[in-house]
Amino acid sequence: MTLQDIILIIIRVAFGAFVPLCFVAVSVWMERRGASFIQDRSGPNRANILGFRAGGLVQNLADAVKLFFKEDVIPGHIKHKFYFVLAPIIVCVTALVSFAVVPFADTLVLGGKEYLMQAIPTDLGILWFLAIVGFSVYGIILAGWSSHSKYGMLGGLRAAAQTISYEIPMVLAIISLLVVYGTVSLNEMAQFQGQLLFGFIPMWGVLLQPLGVIIFIIAAFAEANRVPFDLAEGESELVAGYHVEYSGLKFTIFFMGEYVAMFASSAIIVTLYFGGYQIPWFNTATLIKYAVPVTLLLMIVTPVAAKFIAAWIRKNNVSHYERENDPRVREANVYIKIVWGTVILLEAILFLYLVFASGGAADNILVACLQVCTFLAKTTCMLFVYVWVRWTLPRFRYDQLQKLGWNVLLPLSLLNIFVTSAIVVALS
Amino acid sequence: MSIKVKTIVRNGRSWQERLYLIEVFKGMAITFRHFLSNFLDNSKLAVRHYPEVKPEITPRWRGRHRLTTHEDGTIKCVACYMCQTNCPAQCIQIEAGERGDDRTEKVPVKFDIDLLECIYCGYCVEACPMDAIRMDTGIFSVTSSTREEMKMSIDQLLATKGAFSEEEYKKGGA
Repeated sequence: MTLQDIILIIIRVAFGAFVPLCFVAVSVWMERRGASFIQDRSGPNRANILGFRAGGLVQNLADAVKLFFKEDVIPGHIKHKFYFVLAPIIVCVTALVSFAVVPFADTLVLGGKEYLMQAIPTDLGILWFLAIVGFSVYGIILAGWSSHSKYGMLGGLRAAAQTISYEIPMVLAIISLLVVYGTVSLNEMAQFQGQLLFGFIPMWGVLLQPLGVIIFIIAAFAEANRVPFDLAEGESELVAGYHVEYSGLKFTIFFMGEYVAMFASSAIIVTLYFGGYQIPWFNTATLIKYAVPVTLLLMIVTPVAAKFIAAWIRKNNVSHYERENDPRVREANVYIKIVWGTVILLEAILFLYLVFASGGAADNILVACLQVCTFLAKTTCMLFVYVWVRWTLPRFRYDQLQKLGWNVLLPLSLLNIFVTSAIVVALS
Repeated sequence: MSIKVKTIVRNGRSWQERLYLIEVFKGMAITFRHFLSNFLDNSKLAVRHYPEVKPEITPRWRGRHRLTTHEDGTIKCVACYMCQTNCPAQCIQIEAGERGDDRTEKVPVKFDIDLLECIYCGYCVEACPMDAIRMDTGIFSVTSSTREEMKMSIDQLLATKGAFSEEEYKKGGA
């Protein structure tokens, strides 16, 4: 094992472990600010460090500090304390591990060696994801059961019934996808989506499986226990559902697990249906071939984008009432300087690359970085869809939920398998 | 003659609506429009930046109480116990005493309002025959760190001034 192997293992595992955790903060922030913007409110925008509010991100820090220092109660009536403590850990760990097989860049070729850019370099792919995600409901059931209270119990039961009924259409949607791609490896699926349909349309799963993507996304929402399928914690009926007895740090872990699961399932949706890390029309081979023009294009695009971002910050980071010596304007000045500083840093790196390193292994690393950025951007968009749907749709009634799962999604996904198989057989 | 029947159009039965997805996308389009317009220009938000920008209080707003006085500065209240009797929250405690001057017989020596118990219904103001108690101070944020501070004494009630002119107050329906 060379030094390069060790470094790449560390990078990949660190990416698989820390990126979902960082995105907890991002998605909580997106949820709160997104919700408020959808409802014409402003959302949390006051918490600050030395006057810097970072658009409300500091509120997350404050919330985290609050949750860490809260009393962590284990109610006296709980008989099985071990299971009570185990439940949030299961939820969080399964969510985290399910992300481990998602490729965040194409296979990196360095010094004649190939590296699968996943936290766990395996070809199990989608099978691993399904197996692990199925486990997360155990945490919820365990939480509901060990809470030894009616609300918790009902929440756990609902989560179990819901997850079991939505896992079936989800898996059936994946089966028709497997028929199309002919592989279970997520990396090969993403590579497949780098091809072009009729020579000019990116061959994304969403175009090949329009019905499948709808079924899969609905089922993924139900799996993540998100609105409109969050009956397991329907606060109007069950107070908080399965985590009603949890407080302090254990509640935090539940909360984080929920958002990590959201991130993981967004990543899977992106990988399966929206081209994964592929930039439309630029698959890995093309990118490596045209690395220098792409770099030049990036060097032109980033300042332009930064100009728009700076204008946006200047316009929106002000107090909307009479205020002497508005501190938010000063804040905006610093933010704009940070934006331009980042642009200059990026330009410098790209320039150094062009002058000294282009043509060698640096091409491959540059392409991998670009693909990581693409992947994260797509996943963030998908996370926004989660937020967006949550603040648009009302919650389903329990019988409607089961009816949708068994009477609508199940037959549709079966139909989808037949149609897909027929087309694939006819074409081959 | 038949009864006038108004038929209400019930939505949700056509096949587009039963398909559900189309309506979901319509709803999402609406929320996204709101999101985008607020995201691009957050001065359009329908919020008041509260602690800095105070809401406008109308004369009819039932704020914290005050006791009114005659022109010469003596208290109008005659300790008739009407407000205390009417109070559904039983937050008013009056003790009557002798007045001394020739205006009336009685005067309150103690007039306590426990703001923690008050429900701001305004029945005391309605009941008062002398227009001696009013809720026109415009104070809407009543807070303190101890229970004792929330108990208003007669001196505090007399010291609070009304926030509106007599005309505005009268126009408000009092």
